[in-house]
Amino acid sequence: MTARRRLVLVALLLAALIAPLPAAAQPAPTTAERGAQKSTQKPAADEGWEETKDVQRSVVDADGSTRAYPFSDAFKMTVRADHTQNLRGRERVLISWSGAQPSAGRSGNPYGPGGLAQEYPVVVLQCRGTGAEVTPETCWTSSFSQRSQVSRSDVEATWLRDVHAAPAAKERVSTSLGALPSAEECPEIDRTGLYATRLTPFVAAGGTVYSACNATHMPPEAAADSAFPAAEVAAFTDADGDGSVQFEVRSDVENESLGCNDRTDCSIVVVPISGVSCDQASTPVENDLATIEKACRKTGQWAPGSSNFAGLAVDQAVSPALWWTESNWRNRFVIPITMGLPPDVCDVLDKRAPTAFYGSELLAQASLQWTPAYCLDKSRFKFQLNQMSDEAGWNLMTSGEGAAAEVSSAHEAGADPVGYAPTAVTGFAIGYVIDRPDNAGEYTNLRLTPRLVAKLLTQSYVGSGLGTGHPGMSKNPWAIMADPEFAALNPGLSRNASEAGAALLSLSNSSDIIEQLTEWIAQDRDAREFIAGKPDPWGMVVNPSYRKFEIPTSEWPLLDNYVPQTAIECWQANPGSYYSLLAAPVTTIAKISTALLDAWPNTQTRCDTDVTTTPHTYKTGRIDRQSYGARFMLGVVSLGDAARYGLRTAALQTKPKHFVAPSDSSMSAALKLAEQEEELGPFVLDQARVRRSASAYPGTMVVYTAARLQNLEAETAAKVAQFIRVSTTEGQRRGSGNGELPDGYLPIRRSGTTAGLYASAQAVADAVEAQESTDPPTGKPSADAGDGGIGPVGGAGGVTPPDGAPEGDEPSAAASPTAPASVAPGPVDMPATQAVGSDVAGGVLPLLILLGAIGCVATAVIRVAVPLLRGRR
Amino acid sequence: MNRPIRLIVALALSLAGLASLPGPAHATTYAQIEGTGSTWSELILQQWIADVDSNGMKVVYTGGGSTKGRKDFSQASTDFAISEIPYQGTDERGQSDTSNGRPFAYLPIVAGGTAFTYQLKIGNELVRNLRLSGETIAKIFTLQITNWNDPAITKDNNGRTFPSLPIKPVVRSDGSGTTAQFTTWMDKQYPNIWRPYFGQAGLTSYYPKKAGSQMVSQAGSDQVMNTIKGFAGNGMIGYVEYSYPVNADYPVVKVQNQAGYFVEPTQYNTAVALTKAKINQDKSSQLYLTQVLDGVYANPDPRAYPISSYSYMIIPTGSDDPRMSSAKRQTLADFMYYSLCAGQTKAGPYGYSPLPLNLVQAGFDQLAKLKGADPAVDLTDRDVRSCNNPTFDGKNLSHNVLADKAPQPAACDQAGQGPCGTETGTNQPSTDDGGGAGGAGRNGGEGAAGTDGERGAAASGGEGPAAPGDAPAAIDPETGLAVGAAGSATTTGTTGEVIYADPTELVAGRTTDQRTFGWLAVLELLALVLLPGLYVVGMRRRRTSRAGGRL
Repeated sequence: MTARRRLVLVALLLAALIAPLPAAAQPAPTTAERGAQKSTQKPAADEGWEETKDVQRSVVDADGSTRAYPFSDAFKMTVRADHTQNLRGRERVLISWSGAQPSAGRSGNPYGPGGLAQEYPVVVLQCRGTGAEVTPETCWTSSFSQRSQVSRSDVEATWLRDVHAAPAAKERVSTSLGALPSAEECPEIDRTGLYATRLTPFVAAGGTVYSACNATHMPPEAAADSAFPAAEVAAFTDADGDGSVQFEVRSDVENESLGCNDRTDCSIVVVPISGVSCDQASTPVENDLATIEKACRKTGQWAPGSSNFAGLAVDQAVSPALWWTESNWRNRFVIPITMGLPPDVCDVLDKRAPTAFYGSELLAQASLQWTPAYCLDKSRFKFQLNQMSDEAGWNLMTSGEGAAAEVSSAHEAGADPVGYAPTAVTGFAIGYVIDRPDNAGEYTNLRLTPRLVAKLLTQSYVGSGLGTGHPGMSKNPWAIMADPEFAALNPGLSRNASEAGAALLSLSNSSDIIEQLTEWIAQDRDAREFIAGKPDPWGMVVNPSYRKFEIPTSEWPLLDNYVPQTAIECWQANPGSYYSLLAAPVTTIAKISTALLDAWPNTQTRCDTDVTTTPHTYKTGRIDRQSYGARFMLGVVSLGDAARYGLRTAALQTKPKHFVAPSDSSMSAALKLAEQEEELGPFVLDQARVRRSASAYPGTMVVYTAARLQNLEAETAAKVAQFIRVSTTEGQRRGSGNGELPDGYLPIRRSGTTAGLYASAQAVADAVEAQESTDPPTGKPSADAGDGGIGPVGGAGGVTPPDGAPEGDEPSAAASPTAPASVAPGPVDMPATQAVGSDVAGGVLPLLILLGAIGCVATAVIRVAVPLLRGRR
Repeated sequence: MNRPIRLIVALALSLAGLASLPGPAHATTYAQIEGTGSTWSELILQQWIADVDSNGMKVVYTGGGSTKGRKDFSQASTDFAISEIPYQGTDERGQSDTSNGRPFAYLPIVAGGTAFTYQLKIGNELVRNLRLSGETIAKIFTLQITNWNDPAITKDNNGRTFPSLPIKPVVRSDGSGTTAQFTTWMDKQYPNIWRPYFGQAGLTSYYPKKAGSQMVSQAGSDQVMNTIKGFAGNGMIGYVEYSYPVNADYPVVKVQNQAGYFVEPTQYNTAVALTKAKINQDKSSQLYLTQVLDGVYANPDPRAYPISSYSYMIIPTGSDDPRMSSAKRQTLADFMYYSLCAGQTKAGPYGYSPLPLNLVQAGFDQLAKLKGADPAVDLTDRDVRSCNNPTFDGKNLSHNVLADKAPQPAACDQAGQGPCGTETGTNQPSTDDGGGAGGAGRNGGEGAAGTDGERGAAASGGEGPAAPGDAPAAIDPETGLAVGAAGSATTTGTTGEVIYADPTELVAGRTTDQRTFGWLAVLELLALVLLPGLYVVGMRRRRTSRAGGRL
């Protein structure tokens, strides 16, 4: 093995010296040029947006005087946006506020129509236009019920008494724009005068007006429960008056009717709901007020900070359903945003066949931005990344079906040697979404130790009452939030266990991510001892099914087979391995990101009985989405996905008492600890060294483009080499444009911490392209021949003389020092089965027995003979 | 994140300077489309979605099962659905299963085989070459065969008996197209087994589970796979699209086909099987392009995998569809153009099988309905001729090149032969043809080691004659077979000796051991005969000498 490796190296060195020099030099200046262009044009940073204004509700008393209501002081509210310029579709903008009125009756899902049943929330919408152009009719909602009130009784017609509203808006049946739709169009509208209706039509970018009187009179993008969740939200303000939301901006690609793009500016509109300011009372005696007047003066039936997960009734006057009424709308904050130019895209009719690279999902976000930089450039090949498990990608590469594999650790090479070109520095994170108790906002500072992660992975939390019967775990907490170790690290969180807190959503298939995660655990003594069976200081023990489980491992198996014994009918009818249903790992890491984004655990323990049927039927599967304010979920995500979707990531323990979160500096620090064991091979991040560092992020991973160094077709080899060179130069510039490196990746540069990676990538690119000089060397072979003298060091027969030999009768065969490998196609001869057994052992065994026998005989003889001899004497 | 416009313009210009852009890059306007449905075809669909992102197309797909897909589409909350079966009118639960008046068309998107993946261990070794006939599978999933040592299973595996272990079938708990495909097959092929169990005729999307049975139900293909792979999974068998076990590197059952061969649902075997799919060719029918698979189930080709089928996209074709706009229709059309053409090339590596060209062509006809609904949709040059797909035969549209290339099954895969030692779930064909890459990893060595006398004799007697012709030179000392004869790596060991399907682990019969222990036995025998005599003699002498001393 080592001899061969040495051979390969020498051959590669030779090849690197001769063939690719001119080629390698080519792309570099172009890149430098572009880089220079870029840096000179960098504008001042986008500093975001901020505004403060007073928000005050009022009522007009019977005597005509206006009084502040129900509070005498106005809320001095400040709204901020972290950035507003050149946004992409689905980019998240952090909108935060302070000084607002505390909200009440929190909804389980505040997005879209789900947010309606709340009191005093802060409505955040995206609207077309800026400044005064913004009207409620240009603001997007995904359902008509968020913008229209149709056929309401007086109790729910409070907008009719809005003191700030124009008279036309106080008609019993009215629309804010144009003429009322006909009775055929909107039969739901009561026109007898008994019930009140107010429509707020939507005006699409193309000018089409949707009357919004029912679901069919809404734009095409509007749909409840569609695959694509709503962005507009009725967000919650905590008891201190603070609140925030990651608002997802939609471009015209996601929402054509809203139509925000680089030419059409838009706004994010924040409407604090303070309640309808009511017009003059008919009588000073409160009890004698008309129904509608009383309804208008309502101040809410829910206590500040409370939750209303069941979606029970709220007071309409203070609900977000009336965000458009003048009393609320006049308090709006209009945050102008600009959308970036849409990136150039590949043409679907481009007839060039794509060259497929297979492997790591860690590269997913980068490859989305890189791909167009290939198809749009005719001097390049058409790149495509097919995401699959590292192992599957690797196998396709070694078998020749894939040009190259994207992997993050050393894999077993096939017949041909493989070079690993560092292509991106990124990694994994433990993503989370955790709400603090009492609607006090999200938790943002999660810290985890290897032992806590080991507890989750080994399924040592019992989950719920169903899991308590598991043998050997009676003293274990139900979930991580109830674990004293977790509570000590992460104070101030609710300790009420939920099933989602008993699992870390992870991958079901073999992955380099799992390998590294478990390696991090393996390097921790506490975690190791816990898995080995030692209770933690609070008496929690490992799930016996995982006791002494060997880590690191690249695939985490589901080892528990406990089936709960319970009186619950559904479980009796559908017995299942409860702990495996808690863990429920998935096949792709993208699914974990999505689950976290939706706060929808993959826990599969739902088991409902439908008693209306005979016999009873059962509904089993995934539990429901978590409610806002009570979310708790953990999952293994990629740093690229975490950055793209704004997922929070946990700080992982390195040294005792040191917790390191992913960042450029912590990833650099980890890279400093990584070592390359052999040339053209991968860099290994020794977690034992991470454990001694106070600043290195344990989840740092390098994604390599791995390709064969021999027997790769020249054309494919050139493509792979080009990909390595482009992605390690141009592809390492940060940005959201084509060919640039998105957030979540640490740029590889020619100098600094990543210099080693850069150099290695270039060397592999050269070696891949050279393919051990299967091409007759061009350029100046004779000049290089002298240098080639180091070659013979490799020894035995295989090393190609740099010149001459390739021109012979069989150029390719001569080039390959590991000759047997090159006969890839055609049947492979099987060697004879080796006899199992050893001739040495076969010979020694009888010898030993013989010796023993001789010994026995000898003692017997001596025992008999000696007395005889003595006796004779 | 905050990229200045100027910069992007500069970059675009510099790119434009480097190379003229292929085609009108900005000509097409896309809008995001959303869909739900099948998990059977989700793995490849998600890859296509990632691919077209570089074309500026945004597609959101969230799975959830075929039944959910059809339902969401009918409620107009999605732009498309993926389903293995068409709208049923009324489903087996008596609920309406129609598009609710929303005009639509079916469009095949990819082919694949519904695979049976299982966990069956002998000792600690996972059996990876299980074979089952269709009848046995039907009986397993209708709880008539409940133990792995059942004689029917032994018979399917040519006499190999498996340990006594209860069979736990794993079925889908959600409304699933995979279940529908599987139950259709049972209903058509084994009505006498399926119908009494189901209590009625026909397919179902919700697998009927009998109370108190060993059957386990799980939501989604991912969970079925998890359950079977899990530690508690020993003895389990479930049905998922082939891509799931391939992705998880887990074995699948080789299912017996009409020709009597046990085959795996590789892209080849699926393609061959589907050459006999009867596609509804009546363009006026709402069921245009839907599949009747009776011919597939009974395809006489020895390579055909019987439970092969197509997965369908349901597209909205109404000109006044409430969710559609020109840009969305264009996105749908171009997403499908990519998927039906270039996207098919990766079907194989992902565990699916590419569509034959005639179905791609018909799919384009269906896409044309989008233009019919909205003249603004541009379908120029989007046709089969521009398809970048090596498996297509441009001259004969109905011809599936893959079906030609499909290797014949190995002789040991035939009923009454073998079983082959090759592993399943590796996405590699099991064949005697040299060319195919053999997944023969574990073939040979350890498997061949154990032969008890009798079977060894039978094997060399029975199969020996196959060898002599070509290579008298080298005979493997262990297997008694010719060494290095035509592609023995891929020939998957036609011998009876590859026994990891055999639970009766055999006495080791290593030659050196025989020699050694032979001699040992001789010595022991000698000792047995001689030692007592010697001992007695010795004692007697001692006694006499002592007696002599006293005297």
